[in-house]
Amino acid sequence: MALNRRQFLIGASGLAAAATTMGLGACAPGSSGGGSQGGGNQGGKTSLALAWWGNPTRNKNTQAMIDAYMKANPNVAITGQPGDFTSYWDKLATQTAGGQAPDIIQMDMLYIAEYGTRGALLDLGSVDTSKFVEGTVDSGKINGKLVGVNAGINSALIFASPKVFEKAKMNMPDDKTWTWDQLIEIGAEVASKAGVPFGVASLLQSDALFGTFVRQHGKELFTENGLGFDVPEAQAWYDYLLKGQKAKAFGTPEQVSEEQPKPLDQSAIVVGNAAMQYYNSNQLEAVSAAAGEQPKMLRGPSLAGKATERKTWYKASMLWSASSKSKNPDAAIAWINWFANTPDAANIDLAERGIPPNTEILAEVKPKLSSAQKVVAKYIEDIKPEVGETPIAPPPGGGTIQTVIFRHGIDVLFGKTSPADGAKQFVDEMKSNLKV
Amino acid sequence: MSAISELSTIHRAKAKTPEEKRLLAKEAGRDNKAGYLFLLPWLIGLVLIIGGPMIASLYLSFTNYSLIQAPEWVGLANYARMFDDPRLHKSLAVTFTYVLVGVPLQLIAALAIAILLNEGMRGLPFYRSVFYLPSMLGSSVAIAVLWRQMFEVDGLVNQILRKFGIPATTSWIGDPQYALWTIILLHVWTFGSPMVIFLAGLRQIPGMYYEAASVDGASRWAQFRKITLPLLSPIIFFNLVLQIINAFQAFTQAFVVSNGTGGPADSTLFFTLYLYQRGFVQFQMGYAAAMAWLLVVIIAAFTAINFYFSKRWVFYGD
Repeated sequence: MALNRRQFLIGASGLAAAATTMGLGACAPGSSGGGSQGGGNQGGKTSLALAWWGNPTRNKNTQAMIDAYMKANPNVAITGQPGDFTSYWDKLATQTAGGQAPDIIQMDMLYIAEYGTRGALLDLGSVDTSKFVEGTVDSGKINGKLVGVNAGINSALIFASPKVFEKAKMNMPDDKTWTWDQLIEIGAEVASKAGVPFGVASLLQSDALFGTFVRQHGKELFTENGLGFDVPEAQAWYDYLLKGQKAKAFGTPEQVSEEQPKPLDQSAIVVGNAAMQYYNSNQLEAVSAAAGEQPKMLRGPSLAGKATERKTWYKASMLWSASSKSKNPDAAIAWINWFANTPDAANIDLAERGIPPNTEILAEVKPKLSSAQKVVAKYIEDIKPEVGETPIAPPPGGGTIQTVIFRHGIDVLFGKTSPADGAKQFVDEMKSNLKV
Repeated sequence: MSAISELSTIHRAKAKTPEEKRLLAKEAGRDNKAGYLFLLPWLIGLVLIIGGPMIASLYLSFTNYSLIQAPEWVGLANYARMFDDPRLHKSLAVTFTYVLVGVPLQLIAALAIAILLNEGMRGLPFYRSVFYLPSMLGSSVAIAVLWRQMFEVDGLVNQILRKFGIPATTSWIGDPQYALWTIILLHVWTFGSPMVIFLAGLRQIPGMYYEAASVDGASRWAQFRKITLPLLSPIIFFNLVLQIINAFQAFTQAFVVSNGTGGPADSTLFFTLYLYQRGFVQFQMGYAAAMAWLLVVIIAAFTAINFYFSKRWVFYGD
């Protein structure tokens, strides 16, 4: 078939357009020279690249820490690479694939195993963690090797809005004795009395609260062998959420699904649509600033009605890792050590990355914390007797649990599938994701 | 066969004696050289920026590649896995719905507005710009965020419906039944670029055809069907092919509206979004590369079908 010129041009431009899709997935590892970005020794100085995701405050703090470090160590030159959470991971994966990972990497629990088990992270065994609170070091260990140093302690909990509880003319619940069922009762009551859509928002988004639920049932989210729970626990959780939905405590399925993609400043508790919402402790300051009132921090419920049996843990809000391809591994480790163990760094960053795990450092900066950060520090201290064993980091593929639990859960809430079937699909998909 | 060598073939066919043929062939060779020289910048770009990565991507599609470790050859395993990947099938269904509904609606809207604008009203450049505007904004993150807020339970759309006494409580983006349709609507709204092309095409149709037709008493509808549509058919075909190719690769809107999840309940899980999730969220770049090749095959097939059927309805007038 002879194409005329017009047809040829249309076809050619179409193919060119189609071809752009395939630029994806086309970068071979280590093909481009190797070495870290900005790495090497320029003009006699040891240079390091440091990447983090964050917010304006964190960007300012981090840059100030870099400047302070360079002043104290004139032979080191650090280039900062700030980013926002979503694009940060795309960029880090691409940089790592190209052998150009930054020397110092701000790491998240969801991804540490993806990089750690594949040999992309440096052994940080030489970083001094002797003054860290018990249980805060282990989360950075992959196969027994420390590849991430806890940068701040965090804990999953529930924020409650004093304004909404006041409007409902109700007292704040006693979070030391409340059970999961009471959470539904209180949520339903406060939602109807105050006339807000959510008694409790975002439970389905929380793999962390699901984690405590599973642990209270005697299982774990993940073990060395893979998935630590099975269909019965997942089904119990979906049954529970459905029960809360029927009692009008957790919002309608539409509202739950709408809430999921919202940024913090549009979230239900901030705009006054929820009495309670799932959050992490380090977000208190940001939520307070956005909402114009400081939420009360409530412990997650337990099956037994005893806070000491709720099996929570100190989560690393984020960690510091270093690239195994770094040209200056010692300098990278020195910086992480400086962050973890000197007041110089902590005096700048305070509790922005979570409560410092180093007890001496915490004592040093405590008086300088903002009022919200002081509340968080006290909360973290208060729950010390309730903290159980630190769970292992999610293995490769395990980071998907957040999206998978939500996706099948929303099908259950919409009544498209039964809790039993939804739980089975959830568990099956997780098992297959872990088989990478 | 390239357009250039096609031309030289025609020349050669006209040559009579061997001497003439030799001369013409030499001349054609020179022409070709000049032509390829002009094409060179594009060719270099094609080879380095598109060709190289395409070959790499084809190779990676036969490997297990986590981005972090070196790729490991697995043969056709990635392609075989596609057969029992329910989310892949779901993403294909979502994407086909989007393309097969969104593209025709968008082209109809573009053509309708182009015809209106072609009536020679005053202030045409202004209206043309206003209608073109959504095309430039439509694939931006800001508009997608705005879209999400408009179609919420208490969003602008429901508030307007309530003003008219309709008790609207549906979350258009939260309900899996409707979420995809809000994104299709966003796609239709960005009718500007095909509209501008239609408008240019309408300007090319000589006015005398319409004059003659109205003298013969043809109605407006008959004029549209017998004059406008046939003479515009190459432009319609051009827009159809390009918009289908574009729509298959839609990504931004779904990514922003669902925060990268393709939710609620995978109802907006576009093929490209799933590809992204596999590659960058689950670190399965080999599988993602295989998916990209499946998309290429699908787009190529659609384009071929388009060209095949174009013979029946596209009228080039020559």
